[in-house]
Amino acid sequence: MTVELQHPMKAAATPEEVARGRFTSGIRSLILNDLAADMRSAYERRAAPAFKKEHGHEPETSREAHQALRGDPAFNIYSAMRVQAQKMVWASVADSVEREADRLATEAEKAASGEGSLTLDPDLDVPKNVHAIDVHLMPGSYTRGDTSLEAGAVYDRGLAVFSMGLMGANLDDIGLSMSQYIKQRFPNFAPTRILDTGCTIGHNTLPWKQVYPDAEVIAIDAAPGPLAYGSARANMQGQNVHFQQMCADDLAFEDERFDVVWSSMFLHELSTKQRAKAFEEAYRVLKPGGLVIHMELPPNEQMGAFDGFYLDWDSYYNNEPYYKGYRDEVPADLCARAGFGTDDFFEFVVPSVGIYGEDAVAEAAKGDRAEGVGQEATGRIAEGVMWFGYGAVIK
Amino acid sequence: MVRLWGGHKVSEERLRPEDAPPSLYDDQGNPRFFADPGMDRFVAVMMNLAQEVWVQEERLLALEAEKSGQTVDPEAKVKEFIDRVFAPIREA
Repeated sequence: MTVELQHPMKAAATPEEVARGRFTSGIRSLILNDLAADMRSAYERRAAPAFKKEHGHEPETSREAHQALRGDPAFNIYSAMRVQAQKMVWASVADSVEREADRLATEAEKAASGEGSLTLDPDLDVPKNVHAIDVHLMPGSYTRGDTSLEAGAVYDRGLAVFSMGLMGANLDDIGLSMSQYIKQRFPNFAPTRILDTGCTIGHNTLPWKQVYPDAEVIAIDAAPGPLAYGSARANMQGQNVHFQQMCADDLAFEDERFDVVWSSMFLHELSTKQRAKAFEEAYRVLKPGGLVIHMELPPNEQMGAFDGFYLDWDSYYNNEPYYKGYRDEVPADLCARAGFGTDDFFEFVVPSVGIYGEDAVAEAAKGDRAEGVGQEATGRIAEGVMWFGYGAVIK
Repeated sequence: MVRLWGGHKVSEERLRPEDAPPSLYDDQGNPRFFADPGMDRFVAVMMNLAQEVWVQEERLLALEAEKSGQTVDPEAKVKEFIDRVFAPIREA
């Protein structure tokens, strides 16, 4: 299913461009559901037994599962088609963004009078992981078009094609699911200031403002263009969010300023060193009683060899160089090394609110909080997706 | 180092996971899956071609709907189309 974004800050597409996007979503659905199942079957029937014959044991790690599958016809077809489908995602939206650039800039200027704000830092040295590679094969990465709206518009419309409807009408399902989960799990928690780190276009920032309307919400990212787009996008939806250009590993905020430090699908795009520093910074800027919350891919330590490899695929073939390194780390250790108490760590799986509904999220907040980590649907953009999260409370 | 792609600066820098063997990529750094590198490009051509056929199919569906007054669900139609065209690869 293809999502038609429900907010006005988007590039309008021609019928042909809509058709290209629809096909791309459809072929991704075939790849991520049907061909992925075929690859698992081939792994169990052929690849893993052949590996065992050669090495004397079944594949035990993501790396060994990868080694076992390389060269298998099901792996080759899945992988070659998935790489091409990823390129088609961005190609299917590029023309509309280019054509609509002037109109979007005019609309953004009009929206600038909204309640939210945008603060760019022209002196910020944008890190290499943001600009030096085409992250997830997105041409020009997050700095395409420099400070223009281009990168944000491509990302927004591209993610709508990419997500096949699984990330919500405005790509905010992760933020909605997670913020509602936190509200249910900590009913007496009333944050007054929330920070979203690595927000890109703020699509998963806005739900926090909806769930905690009295809180001041600040969203930061190193890339200026997506922030400018995200600010206009938020203002057009009547959302009062303050966007600031800043790196998560070097926060320009005083100590103990925030009640929540949040991120979604962000930590795996940082180097090991940047990630450790980002955790230290989160610890520094949180007030006593505050929460650090991250939505991310589940870690390799909690998955079998095949499922671990399935997620690590992106690291090798989708220009996500830090993805596997991140997934090899242990979330509890990341928090503990930054200063969070070991007993204050928690991890959980939240059903997608768009697929399973609010009652399911509420139920998850009451139940066994780590259940489902090892399930096939956790962290995979495919039918029945559930989101993995973890965090810690500062005592 | 950058090159131009459709008028945009695109990085040629390749960061890889530390344990990624060079054999996973061709001499330009692109992922390589089949023994014959032409096959990787052939898969891409086939997918582009199927996409363009679908664009024409969707135009035709729109024209027919205008003429008959009966609309069809393009999401269901694209799924049928993709399942039909790509059925042979399910045998891998």
